[in-house]
Amino acid sequence: MGNCLKGSAADDISLLRGSESAGDSVSDHLGLPPPYREAVPVYYPSPNISRPVNQLTEEEQVKIAKRMGLIQHLPTGSYDGCKKNRECVICMVEFLVGDNVRYLPCMHIYHVNCIDDWLMRSFTCPSCMEPVDAALLTSYEAS
Amino acid sequence: MKLISASLVELNKNPVEGFSAGLIDDNDIYRWEVLIIGPPETLYEGGFFKAQLLFPKEYPLRPPRMKFVTEIWHPNIERNGDVCISILHEPGDDKWGYEQASERWLPVHTVETILISVISMLADPNDESPANVDAAKEWRESYTDFKRKVARCVRKSQEECL
Repeated sequence: MGNCLKGSAADDISLLRGSESAGDSVSDHLGLPPPYREAVPVYYPSPNISRPVNQLTEEEQVKIAKRMGLIQHLPTGSYDGCKKNRECVICMVEFLVGDNVRYLPCMHIYHVNCIDDWLMRSFTCPSCMEPVDAALLTSYEAS
Repeated sequence: MKLISASLVELNKNPVEGFSAGLIDDNDIYRWEVLIIGPPETLYEGGFFKAQLLFPKEYPLRPPRMKFVTEIWHPNIERNGDVCISILHEPGDDKWGYEQASERWLPVHTVETILISVISMLADPNDESPANVDAAKEWRESYTDFKRKVARCVRKSQEECL
């Protein structure tokens, strides 16, 4: 997936250039315009609504930007072999020592990639349903 | 995708009482067929109900859909077979984004937890949010008719399975 994204990002730039020069060069290089635009990242202003980044309302952009900021405040680490948490319950794969994991305030841990995708949809711990933002606020007030 | 195929392997290695699962088409890991055995001591006892589980590409971030193929009369199953239970619903857009999150879809759910919910739904319909309004009404107001309809579905399901 990551590779696909990189590849198509380059396409986006060529499309931008093309629009400056009346678009002829674009059709020469690329033929027909692509039937779909996988290149545009999709966000989830709420879990059941997905929207390409260029169609987000201002309010949704703010919400998503805040969410991304909050996620970055959650500590990460590499899995140390702790016996209490053996597998990531999202992908159901056992943690390997050194795996990149994220710790939620409720102390549940997940692979960074697995939990970040979920938190961008719903800001709750999937195991205990504790709202992550409320827990973050409490931990700020305490410290 | 790895997760979906791993769940299928796991389910076939350690079968769960009350259902079995397999792929509709061996080349498509996203579409499963499950056979649900009518739970004992319920109206559905003795029935063999076929259903499909249709996984989105984003599973487990988004829930699968479940659809009964065998005709079934139940307040929480639409006439076209679509199952309507809260754990198959994504958390909606409420103020905080997590109200009643516990009842809705979570990425820690598995095919096993889904089917256990479905089996418990068969035993214990929830008539607060019916998907089949007629079935819900009948279940509440004319239980004998409801029982007769379910019995007919059970019989039909047995015949189809032979």
